[in-house]
Amino acid sequence: MAQLFRPGANSIAVAVIVALFAAPVAAVALTYALWDSPYATDQNLTRAQPVPFSHAHHVGDLGLDCRMCHTGVEQAASAGIPSTHICMTCHSKIWTNARMLAPVRASYASGKPLHWQRVNRVPDYVFFDHSIHVAKGIGCSVCHGPVQKMALMRQAQPLTMGWCLECHRHPQKYIRPQDDVFDMYWRTPFDQPEQGARLVRQYLIHTDHLTDCSICHR
Amino acid sequence: MPSLKPQSDLDRRVALKLLATAMAATMARCSRPEEEIVPYAKMPEGLVAGEPMRFATTLALSGYGRGFVGISIDGRPIKIEGNPKHPFSLGATDIFAEAEVMSLYDPDRSTAIRHDEAIATWDAFSADWGQATRAQNGHGLALVTNRVVSPTTLARIAAFKNRYPSMRWYRYEPVHDDAARAGARLAFGRVVTSLPRWSEADVVLSLGADPLGHGPDELRMARAYASRRVLGAKRQRIHAAEAVWTLTGAAADFRIPTTPAVIVEIARAVANACGANLGSPQIPEDAEHFVERASRELMAARGKALVLAGESQPAEVHAICHWINAQLGAPVDHLPSQDAVENDHAFELVALADDLHAHRFRSVIVADANPVYDAPDSLHLADGIASVPFSAHIGLYCDETAMACHWHLPLSHALESWGDSRALDGTASIVQPLIQTLYPTRTRDEYLAWLVGEDVAKAYDLVRKTWQSNVPGDFEANWRKALNDGVIANTAATPLALSLKRPADLPRAATPRGMSLAMSPDPSVWDGRFANNAWLQECSEPFTKQVWGNAIRIAPGDAERLGIADEDTVDVEIDGKTITAPAISMPGQADGVIGLHWGQGRLRAGRIGTGVGARVCGIGAHPLARLLDGAVLRKSARSVPFRSTQAHTRLEGRAEDIFQIATLNELGHANAGTGRRPPSLLPVPPKGDYAWAMVVDTDACIGCNACVVACQAENNVPVVGPEEISQGRDMHWLRVDAYTRPHGYIERRGFQPVPCMHCEYAPCEPVCPVEASVHDHEGLNVQVYNRCIGTRFCEANCPYKVRRFNWFDYSGDQAYAGEGEALKAQHNPDVSARGRGVMEKCNYCLQRISRARKAAEKENRKIAEGEMITACQAACPTRAIHFGDLNRTDSDVSNLRKAPQHYVLLEELNTRPRTTYLKRVFNSDDQG
Amino acid sequence: MTAAEGTKERWIQGIQSLEEINARISAPILDPAHTWRWWAALAISGSLTLLMIVAVTWLFAHGIGVFGNNTTIVWGFPIANYVWWLGIGHAGTLISALLLLTRQKWRGSLNRFAEAMTLFAASMAGLFPIFHLGRPYYLYWITPYPNVQGLWPQWRSALVWDLWAVGTYITFSALFWYVGLVPDLAMLRERARSLWARRLYGAFALGWRGSARHWEIHERFYRYMAALAVPLVVSVHSIVSLDFAASLEPGWADTIYPPYFVIGALYSGFAMVVVLAAALRWGCSFEPFITHRHFDAIARVLLTASIVMGISYATEWLWAWYGGERPERHLVAFLFTGPYAPLYYGQLLFNVVVPQAFWSPRVRTNIAAVVVISILINVGMWLERILIVWSTLSRDYLPSAWRIFLPTFWDWALLFGSLGAFMFLFLLFVRILPAMPAHELRKLWIEENGS
Repeated sequence: MAQLFRPGANSIAVAVIVALFAAPVAAVALTYALWDSPYATDQNLTRAQPVPFSHAHHVGDLGLDCRMCHTGVEQAASAGIPSTHICMTCHSKIWTNARMLAPVRASYASGKPLHWQRVNRVPDYVFFDHSIHVAKGIGCSVCHGPVQKMALMRQAQPLTMGWCLECHRHPQKYIRPQDDVFDMYWRTPFDQPEQGARLVRQYLIHTDHLTDCSICHR
Repeated sequence: MPSLKPQSDLDRRVALKLLATAMAATMARCSRPEEEIVPYAKMPEGLVAGEPMRFATTLALSGYGRGFVGISIDGRPIKIEGNPKHPFSLGATDIFAEAEVMSLYDPDRSTAIRHDEAIATWDAFSADWGQATRAQNGHGLALVTNRVVSPTTLARIAAFKNRYPSMRWYRYEPVHDDAARAGARLAFGRVVTSLPRWSEADVVLSLGADPLGHGPDELRMARAYASRRVLGAKRQRIHAAEAVWTLTGAAADFRIPTTPAVIVEIARAVANACGANLGSPQIPEDAEHFVERASRELMAARGKALVLAGESQPAEVHAICHWINAQLGAPVDHLPSQDAVENDHAFELVALADDLHAHRFRSVIVADANPVYDAPDSLHLADGIASVPFSAHIGLYCDETAMACHWHLPLSHALESWGDSRALDGTASIVQPLIQTLYPTRTRDEYLAWLVGEDVAKAYDLVRKTWQSNVPGDFEANWRKALNDGVIANTAATPLALSLKRPADLPRAATPRGMSLAMSPDPSVWDGRFANNAWLQECSEPFTKQVWGNAIRIAPGDAERLGIADEDTVDVEIDGKTITAPAISMPGQADGVIGLHWGQGRLRAGRIGTGVGARVCGIGAHPLARLLDGAVLRKSARSVPFRSTQAHTRLEGRAEDIFQIATLNELGHANAGTGRRPPSLLPVPPKGDYAWAMVVDTDACIGCNACVVACQAENNVPVVGPEEISQGRDMHWLRVDAYTRPHGYIERRGFQPVPCMHCEYAPCEPVCPVEASVHDHEGLNVQVYNRCIGTRFCEANCPYKVRRFNWFDYSGDQAYAGEGEALKAQHNPDVSARGRGVMEKCNYCLQRISRARKAAEKENRKIAEGEMITACQAACPTRAIHFGDLNRTDSDVSNLRKAPQHYVLLEELNTRPRTTYLKRVFNSDDQG
Repeated sequence: MTAAEGTKERWIQGIQSLEEINARISAPILDPAHTWRWWAALAISGSLTLLMIVAVTWLFAHGIGVFGNNTTIVWGFPIANYVWWLGIGHAGTLISALLLLTRQKWRGSLNRFAEAMTLFAASMAGLFPIFHLGRPYYLYWITPYPNVQGLWPQWRSALVWDLWAVGTYITFSALFWYVGLVPDLAMLRERARSLWARRLYGAFALGWRGSARHWEIHERFYRYMAALAVPLVVSVHSIVSLDFAASLEPGWADTIYPPYFVIGALYSGFAMVVVLAAALRWGCSFEPFITHRHFDAIARVLLTASIVMGISYATEWLWAWYGGERPERHLVAFLFTGPYAPLYYGQLLFNVVVPQAFWSPRVRTNIAAVVVISILINVGMWLERILIVWSTLSRDYLPSAWRIFLPTFWDWALLFGSLGAFMFLFLLFVRILPAMPAHELRKLWIEENGS
């Protein structure tokens, strides 16, 4: 009678058996790779805004302080997106007719707010508080990156939990003197290890408690 | 061969499936919908986005104002807290105040003018009103309100009377004080408000009174009561004779259940002991000991002794009590009544009915009252009102009365309104809005102003006008101060010096025919005005723990005699009218007395309240009665479910572990807990800057439930609804366990608030497969909702059963009566709303701790003692809940843990709870 | 005296030739007789499987609130079903491994389908923890895998151990079963008529040629696996028992739980084997292979197990009394007097009293009787599982939290649905794979009939 299998069957059998064990492992690895990639974290993603506001211009060129517009950053959890009135404090005097600013003027006139697109976003169950980070010497640029170079705002960091934990575990690597918090050009000094450790002590930061779930989740 | 593979490694298949889901989820995150940020166009002055703002305001109960503080975040009122500066809040709240935020956002609130049900326009109404009032200068015009003490409203009513001289104003309050008023007339020849200075009394005798029960005076009384229970203070001795259980009775050292008739005799006996001669009292011998001891102690404590009579007692008993108090030199202040109307409440309601049926009116206006529900059917108010050509109802809801009227005008909620009010003692305070009106509504004052032709009068101006005239000095400064403090300085009335009449004879109470019916306002929905508030419907009755309904409470003796088992549905028939409700037998209730709460059985309350429970106020000929007799009890053909959050109130022989009781002399040689620290295999819990702990004083706790509702409001705790309750599911993070312990031949009852114990060796932690239940460095046992997968192992292994599971999406799509959406505005933004399939529980108000910690850390200091206050602690009128840091040896909690009456719940399990208790303390073991 | 007869009687009866063995065993697959029985059974089990699918859909759509669980009794049917099914899943591998090592001749007729039973039962068991979860789609969080949160499962939790225990068990049982199948697959490869059938069987026969070397390797490998299997089987239900034993609850925190669970598992497993054996015997006319002696042998095992179960129950009562803790004592009193009492008496009756009938040889050799008793035992064991969950949670430390469990339609739907699915899989199995290990029976026949 006819042969059931061609000689190739053996190698196929071997391949299948190997795949049986390899496939799940590969799947997990792939998933993780995807999960941690900018593709999933939205890192470096810029979004279309109603007004093409340029931090590069306002911060980089003009050297405005963050707090000029983000008024809540030192008191509240949310740094706060400036109200139209804040924009108009300047733009009622300069660039009063710029076409680019038409939506702002419209909002000012009508009292209807501007609708910005959120760029940096953490899930609802994460209770991030700007004020305490700023108060404890974590600079804006640590999370928001070189804002002064961004023509359009983009998410500078992955904002994953692992990324948060890295700093919560080793704040001394990122902490800086309170005066430099809003300094966009601050560079990690060569003596950061010592200075960092010193500041952590000075600001009474307790690293063990920083990794409690209850610090961010409740 | 298809069938071989799936079986041979199905588990791997599942694993793969799930990985696939995971990947799908990842993709989903990439294409997630863009989220918008919408800043203010113009930022309101002083507002910081996401930060709470506090405004002093006033909320009324039965007309009397109590001052509270409203907390709003981003312009949304989310929480009510006490106002320490207000003498009738003293920093505490009650369930009604806490629940007002819920009422504010209630989707069932009336939002439009209606004419015969149909939505109508303002112009149509004004046209109709003009026509109705043209010619007749108020002739045949009736105004119906509840009790009014607000100066502005009184001014509006006066103006109304000016405009329509011959109009008639009827005011009645469902929870009235007619007996007290009549008693005062007998005693002093005038109506007064008598306010006991409870804290000054060493001995108190309560004759069916319930000063610790809900009411406009509860918070003040409760605080005074607690002030005599703190360790070291000279303890008060409370004697209570009452027919049905009241919170005061539960708090008493000596309590006997007696029929109202016997209470009269007890009053007689005590009066005679004070030197009156009212004939020999007929005391049944099981009460003799009680009466003898009470009189003896009262006499011995002259100047510091107090006797209180309840509303269910006849006027004569009230009069006698006034006389006895005078003889004893009791600490009582008699103040002029704030109630502007001389007539009694029941009288007014009857008069209204008579005048309606006599067709004296061409137009009727019912301002923020619901007489059709409140009045007994025998008055036929609905027909009466319907017979009037022009009738308008002003109210928060399109309720029973709105149905009887042609017109309905939507009323603004107190938290949306400007206004003012007075407390029992006359202390005036401003009603300050926390938010713009959600719907096109007006306040009562605005409507009244409009009705007399002041077209565009705004409540704000009306209130200011009132006070401009009667506040001396710089008005603006005083106004700001009044808004800031929540009280208007020196507006309290001064006590009257009154001459007392010698007691007239005290008529003997007629022996009741059949069983007598003792009625009182519902401890959850009051007189029915809160019936559509889901928080209150799900706030359990203190003793039966019943929710979503009212029960017929009978004495075990009667239950046995009539062969009625607990939860049987029974009919109470009285003068041909029948009330049908589940029966529950109450050890310690007087034989022959049936206990009932009115306020349920609303016909048109809204999606929440309509048809819940049985309507009690419909029966009898005499409106608003507290006591009726001639009741007949029998098993019902219908069946009404009894829904409760606690099936077992007996301690099943576990008293010494669970609800511990001590007498004063026992305390002498007691030690704080056993202090045992047996070894444990569990890892030592982490230590940090703070060691948060709570001590609950079951001796001070009066079971008022304020903490439960406060917790619900603070922590976005959803309502589950009657069906889920019947399934045995509830969501309260903090429950108040009610316990009854037979003591000789009497019953002792007590309350034990049970939040999460925050065990140092928490049984819930090692069993969670995903580390969703974990300890933090401040000793909190926290639940990470977003990590929880819902194995429920933690709750299974929790000896205290304090964890709550979201069986359905209670705060979202599957919310009861679809209220999830409506309540989102009320939600505290500092607390996650928990989704379906997630375990949740008390976390010591973590959000508040975190706020306090950040505030402190920004100033490089530690959180100060008393700076961190949990929601339940803030609400508690008796300060029974203590919270603080065990790392401080001098902190309140550290000291209490050393107190002799301190104990640990289920200490033998070595869970080392951070929440511990103080024993319920009795003055002596004496029975009855 | 039964033993005396036993030696005279044979384990295989009325078989004339080796060929006949192969023919009879491959008959249900290649040329089935009275298929109507099969189709009828398939229809019933199929519709039940459908019910299960509906129930699961409903469950995932509405959330586990559709079950009867409540705030106090947070565990219910799914956990009980999980433990019960896993228990049934124990007999297969154990029979085949233990009896192989102890050279029990009667193993041959039972091990193949018993192992199949193990796989299907364990699969059912594996599903229930998923149905039980509040957020089943996050089940994978209890596995260690690389993630952006940098989180691990919580290794101290018995539930995490479960995952590994059950996972390992299912995988191993599958392998063990497959290894045993290989020579028979080869036989089918030779006997099958259609080319594709031969290809399929051939593929899974992994080129088995039956050479002496093949047999030698197969024998040795199979024995090693058997040696590994025994401790594994014991470990699985011990670990499952820790879901309860490693807790603080009265009635759960007992050191007796692991052995007690393992015996219980065998008990219900063997009982299920009896039912399936009878079904096969009737459905596939395997009378020659499954004889009265087999039922007799299993009945003896069941009898022993029933006595051990009785002792375990008694031990629980004794410890509750001797330990003197009020909650423990109250719990035992509650079992006998509380609302679940009828169920508890049922459990004692079915698990301890009824099986005592096996003392009589006439009962042991009466197949109908053995089957009925076995079914009762399975019911009794399920009652035991559900009562372990219910009674403790209904009556633990604080009286204020005491409640009662009232099952809903969906609780029952999932239980009976899973029974249907189990039957369904088993029916497919008998028509696709040899339900008897032909090669072992051939060997046994030769041993018994000399040449």
